[in-house]
Amino acid sequence: MRKFNKIDHFFSLSLFFSLFMLSGFVALAGDSNNKMLPGSHILQDTTTLKGKVTDADDNTPLNGVSIENLRSRRGTTTNASGEFSIAVQTGDQLEFTFIGKAPKTVVYLGQTFLPVALSKADGALSEVIVTGFQNLDKKKFSGAATSLKAADVKIDGVADVSRMLEGRAAGVSIQNVSSTFGAAPKIRIRGATSINGENKPLWVVDGVVLEDIVNISNDQLASGDPTTLLGSSVAGINVNDIESFDILKDAAATALYGARAMNGVVVITTKKGRSGRQVVNYTGNYSTQFKPRYTDYNIMNSVEQMSVLSELDRKGWLTTNVLRGGNYGVYGKYYDLINEVLPDGSFAMPNTQQAKREYLLRYAKSNTDWFDLLFRQSFVQEHSLSISSGTDRLQSFFSTSFYNDNGWTLADNVKRYTLNFRNNYKFSDKFSAGFLTTGSYRQQEAPGTISRTANVVTGGYDRNFDINPFSYALNTNRALTAFDDKGDREYFTRNFAPFNILSELENNRLKINVIDLKLQGEATYKFTEHLRYEFIGAIRYVRSTREQEVNENANMANAYRAAGTSEIRRNNPFLYQDPENPSAEKVVVLPYGGFYNRVEDQLLNFDVRNSLNYANTFGADDEHDLNILIGQQIKYSDRQNASSNGYGYQYDNGGVATPDFRILKQMIEQNFPYYGMSKDFDRFAAFYFNAQYTYNHKYNFYGTVRYDGSNRLGASRQARWLPTWSFGGAWNINEEGFLRDVEAVNYLKLRASYGLTASMGPATNSNIILRNINIHRPYLTDVETIIYIANLANDDLTWEKNYTANIGLDAGLFNNRLTTSIDVYHRRSFDLIGLIKTSGIGGESLKTANYADMTSQGAELLIGGQPIVRKNWNWKINLTFGYNTNKITRSEYLPRIFDLVKQEGGNLQGYPVNSLFSIKFAGLNATTGIPEFINEEGKTTSAVFMQSDSVRNLKFEGSVDPKFTGGLNNTFTYKAFSLNIFITYQAGNMIRLNPAFKNSYSEWDASPKEFYDRWVMPGDQTITNIPSIMDYYQYVLTNATPFNYPYNNYNYSTERVARGDFIRLKTVSLSYQLPAELLHKTNFFKSVSITAAAINPWLIYADKKLKGQDPEFFNAGGVAQPVQKQITLSLKVGL
Amino acid sequence: MKYKLSCALVLLVMLSACDKYLAREPDNRAKLTDPAKVSQLLASAYPQGSYMAFAEAMSDNAGDKGTGEADVTNSAPYAFENVPNSDQDSPDNYWYSCYAAIASANQALEACNEATNTEDYQSQKGEALVARAYAHFMLVTLYAKPYDQSTAGSNPGVPYVTEPETVVNKQYSRGTVAEVYEKIEKDLLEGLPLLDDASYKVPRYHFTRTAANAFASRFYLYKKDYEKAVQYANASVPDLLPNLRPWNTTYQTYGINNLPAEYQKTTEPANLLLMTCPSIYTYALSFIRYRYALTPEIQNEIFDTPLEVTGGDWAYITGYVGSQKNPGVPKLNYTDFAQDDPTSDFGLAYGTLCLFTTEEVLFNKAEANTYLGNYDAAIKDINLFLSTRLTGVTPGTLPANRTVTQAKVRQHYNNDYSIQEALVKYILELRRIEFVHEGMRWFDILRYGLTVTHEFVGTGGVVTKTLEIGPDDKLRQLKLPNEVKLSGITDLNR
Repeated sequence: MRKFNKIDHFFSLSLFFSLFMLSGFVALAGDSNNKMLPGSHILQDTTTLKGKVTDADDNTPLNGVSIENLRSRRGTTTNASGEFSIAVQTGDQLEFTFIGKAPKTVVYLGQTFLPVALSKADGALSEVIVTGFQNLDKKKFSGAATSLKAADVKIDGVADVSRMLEGRAAGVSIQNVSSTFGAAPKIRIRGATSINGENKPLWVVDGVVLEDIVNISNDQLASGDPTTLLGSSVAGINVNDIESFDILKDAAATALYGARAMNGVVVITTKKGRSGRQVVNYTGNYSTQFKPRYTDYNIMNSVEQMSVLSELDRKGWLTTNVLRGGNYGVYGKYYDLINEVLPDGSFAMPNTQQAKREYLLRYAKSNTDWFDLLFRQSFVQEHSLSISSGTDRLQSFFSTSFYNDNGWTLADNVKRYTLNFRNNYKFSDKFSAGFLTTGSYRQQEAPGTISRTANVVTGGYDRNFDINPFSYALNTNRALTAFDDKGDREYFTRNFAPFNILSELENNRLKINVIDLKLQGEATYKFTEHLRYEFIGAIRYVRSTREQEVNENANMANAYRAAGTSEIRRNNPFLYQDPENPSAEKVVVLPYGGFYNRVEDQLLNFDVRNSLNYANTFGADDEHDLNILIGQQIKYSDRQNASSNGYGYQYDNGGVATPDFRILKQMIEQNFPYYGMSKDFDRFAAFYFNAQYTYNHKYNFYGTVRYDGSNRLGASRQARWLPTWSFGGAWNINEEGFLRDVEAVNYLKLRASYGLTASMGPATNSNIILRNINIHRPYLTDVETIIYIANLANDDLTWEKNYTANIGLDAGLFNNRLTTSIDVYHRRSFDLIGLIKTSGIGGESLKTANYADMTSQGAELLIGGQPIVRKNWNWKINLTFGYNTNKITRSEYLPRIFDLVKQEGGNLQGYPVNSLFSIKFAGLNATTGIPEFINEEGKTTSAVFMQSDSVRNLKFEGSVDPKFTGGLNNTFTYKAFSLNIFITYQAGNMIRLNPAFKNSYSEWDASPKEFYDRWVMPGDQTITNIPSIMDYYQYVLTNATPFNYPYNNYNYSTERVARGDFIRLKTVSLSYQLPAELLHKTNFFKSVSITAAAINPWLIYADKKLKGQDPEFFNAGGVAQPVQKQITLSLKVGL
Repeated sequence: MKYKLSCALVLLVMLSACDKYLAREPDNRAKLTDPAKVSQLLASAYPQGSYMAFAEAMSDNAGDKGTGEADVTNSAPYAFENVPNSDQDSPDNYWYSCYAAIASANQALEACNEATNTEDYQSQKGEALVARAYAHFMLVTLYAKPYDQSTAGSNPGVPYVTEPETVVNKQYSRGTVAEVYEKIEKDLLEGLPLLDDASYKVPRYHFTRTAANAFASRFYLYKKDYEKAVQYANASVPDLLPNLRPWNTTYQTYGINNLPAEYQKTTEPANLLLMTCPSIYTYALSFIRYRYALTPEIQNEIFDTPLEVTGGDWAYITGYVGSQKNPGVPKLNYTDFAQDDPTSDFGLAYGTLCLFTTEEVLFNKAEANTYLGNYDAAIKDINLFLSTRLTGVTPGTLPANRTVTQAKVRQHYNNDYSIQEALVKYILELRRIEFVHEGMRWFDILRYGLTVTHEFVGTGGVVTKTLEIGPDDKLRQLKLPNEVKLSGITDLNR
């Protein structure tokens, strides 16, 4: 409590600061009030002027051009035909402004009709770079940044903003590791900068950093765990509200984010209200996603599968022993039936070969299409409405949207509501302010799942009770059926309890609710023409709940009740063994009901910034241009995570909770308290200074210094503060005399920058970290809550840092019909957090410290062209290309074999971040067909010790992160038609194929078609590398040797990698803009356009070895889903 | 200009305000704000690592069964090779856990010393000092040559750490065995009087006065200061009989299934100090099933010889796991397992160690008394012990035909030895049987420089190799972890 008081006190100080300044301004403003207000005197000779605004390049009408009468301060906008009308007096100046066009001021001299043609702004370079702190003139900017208009990159029908940036900006790599709503793609700007850090870019919305509600590292994104559904920080943003993106890449561009900028920054600017006529826009997207099909994958049909099963049967796998394991299908069921005595005394199944044959034949013929059963042709609708209006004193923008996806699978669906309300007020010429309220609410369902756990034996991951429909369809054999002969649901056995996926998806669900609210205020006061004060403050509250509802009929609940025979009681791990009485039989501790498990995350975020900006142009011919920014920022985020598990909730019995005390005893004895809560505090303060100077419109200089303070490294003063800096310069070559007369060159700019940025690493022990834990003891009565040393103090702990040098060239040629931008950069990351072994004498043998370095370099290229510019015809082409390589130059930690061969890749000195290694395959054993490898000691054997840190015998395959990324966008316009074809690509990375091989197969497993070519008899090893199916005898022999998992090793061997290169047709869309004349007649519609789009329709190229596996997707089960093929119809109406 | 000046002033105020604002810890980490918190930290000042697996495998209690499971923490120590990992049950793991315990003790001591009301922290200070002494004592016993007054001043010891480490790679030196013993003694003697049993929530998992005195009796026995060994043994458990394990009474009723659940309980008065840590040595009876463990032959040797003096039968419960090749005393809890997740089969197996027991106190006292010439006192304690270990005997009242006498003991060794030597040998044999599977035998082998012979059996039960580890063999001392070089120590023993 005391600490909280201190914070309150501090904020009152900060508030005092801003109040103090404001009061000063108000006093000042008072003097000039009369001057500024034009009053409301009535004008006698006002007339209404009509006119039309067209594009100077192709004479097409421009819709939405702002027109302001600079005298009366009244404004309007053009309609879809480019027409406008405005009240004028002779001599009035009318200012025409439009995005991407140079503003134009026309003096009214009594014309009856005013045609105005707006020409393109001075190339792309006259645009503005929005850094979130400043709006910078791109002409003078020396950093590397890409500005994208939302309208250009928007993919109708895709609800998550982050996925739209794929292939749009050079150097931004986006991998859709899961495409479930709410899950974030793996985003990297210019590749990895850190080894163990998050490597995620910073998202900034309207100048305020968007804090994540839960911190999920890039690697965790691919885990399929329920938390990943909160991974996308931008999932609550309505795409239609976005005006533009600015991607800040180098040190100069990101400098004002100082100690958090190392991984790049994505700045989102949302729409504002415009003065003038009220504009109402409706956008409706109606999409459907296609079911996946078996033809795209490599899975055996039921006949082929039955032949594999019968081989398993012959090899001694499918004896009555399957009943003991608790997971069985067709064969296990057969054994159950031949043992089941019916009331009339006969057996449920006669124990004859004939009966067995008939029984098995039914399943061999079933050919169950799990995709068809578990997926549906979903209908996704998204409605968005925005109203923009305003006067010169007040501009207002309101928008709301509703997104409803009824689910691609039976188990998932999403609803999202958003609200955005923004008002800007101009109190006087000096003082203006704005308020922004955004809110979103998300309601989502997903298949019930729990977090995966590491399998310490094989080194892989396990997830019990996984019912992810996609991985279920891929991993469950097609000889199993969902319905029996009578059409009723057919159950097989999992975890000793009946299981049918359709029932399970109904009975085991995850419900997610997210509420996200933000209130933001902005104020600007102009002291003089040159000096301006700016305030920005925001408060944001996010709350999410995840409820897993496991019905009493779910397999997960019934597994806790499966105790039918003493055999089951002995083998079922979900029964309870009293530790005080080890000789007693295990007992059921969930006699009634199911589970109600709840996780709640909250975030309260507060961000305030005060700054002074001085801008002046002086000297003869305005040759000196100076812009200075000085400011201060303070920020805090409090996060809270709470969880509770409810046992014995009876969903079908009026919601009565009937927990058995012994399940709590069991959990507590295992040190799993049935509830938990943790808090996390982020405190941040910064001071910054930035100066820009341009001489003679040609030579630009830019420098930033920033001083950041944070509590994240722990409460130690010496680690708390970090200065960062950057500087840069740009030369506008086209302003030089020798180029001024060259018509072909519209602009040409050379720029360079260098600077230090930083990021918070995953270590917080500048001071000792002590944590509480309930220490494990064999008996509950002896358990104590203790404190242990989680991490020793590290006096030298500091931020992860990075020097970036960037050189770039921007050019616009041939009337800007060809624009290009080239960047080359080199980065040296140092003080990276890495694991380091120590003598352990201090008490911690493995420390995290600033002990790793890496370098990275790359190049980026952006080419924009307009090969055809005609009156009716237009073809625009845009190519982005990004190249990045990196290398860990120092890392003390020796990873273990599994760390390097797992599909996410691992880190080893001398190799790139996230390098994928493989165990060297050494052929199949000539007598058994069991795969053999070069093991950690260099010997040829089937056993490889995955936990060994002797990694020299592994083969380096490549990084899992692509070296090359980019996209190619083509837009063809013919009259009112517009066709867009967008292709993305990546290359240079390696992928681990899905683990398909096992030491032993259960009756559930689906076999990939590779099994056709498997080793069957001695001699086959010369013609195939696909290992045999082990017989039971071999299996027992193999198991006798410790850590002998040859088939698991095979999954991580040189045989099971593929190149990650792919070219994907991301979208094809065709738009039609209804003719303005037609709309004009309705006197209601201002613009109507219809777009039909196909999203992800075609994977044009990928490695053949992938055999249907998506090169981006990590099939981790849980809540993970691959990118869907989707068709969208989009309707945009303007009123 | 005026407001600019004010701004600068406000900024200055803010800078200092910021520092306070940024002093907020980033998460729920604990702070040692009162004596109770320091007590909580001290629960981690006991090494969370087990020496049982490697100590037992190195001792002469282990033989090669020819076949069977052999985790590397079992096979490598048997062959006197280095365990190549630092997982649970490995020597490296024990090294790290001892120093982790020492770090907790040092952190606690720092909190005690920095507190303004130091008098409120006396019992915490006591526990920290004794715990620090214990961890160092175990390290110096396993990693340095045994204490001998003539060589202790030159034999390398182990780094004695007395303050928290705050840099990534601090430099340390091993010092000498004498120095380490000196520091252990100082910590122990300073800490012992400060202990307050009432301050513990679960006393049997902490250094009570009883446990600390037991430690002192062991320390002085190893230091060959026999008067003090007797003195502290008496202080530890003044009345031995009610605190000995009731093998021939209550334990008989438990039977083979419930014995493991009772043997290491806090309610068993013989357990003076317990410690639970991750270990696969006890889990699923590995300590009996391992390939390099008690063989039927060794079992016979261990169990038969002492009986030659007393006659009668042991009340020890023995059994087999799987086959008769795997004999043992199933006394250690073998079901203790914590899953990683309630639905996962994976997790950590735990084992509990009886760090100090009444039996050890009894033996320490008897051995020290033997060296002091108090043979009758030693024999009295031995008979007390036997009265709880032989079947058909009422504890405390040993019949004459079962009673050990000086003559019987000398006779047992063919009168080859003096009564002192014979008694010591006999006590060592009783220790061997009492602490079988628990690793204690290795400490006696170290102290007395006993030669260990390990045979390796190939196919068909043929002995393929014999390893003899003599009293001066360098392999007797564990190798320090390779990473210790990072702290400037070059002598890793091997």
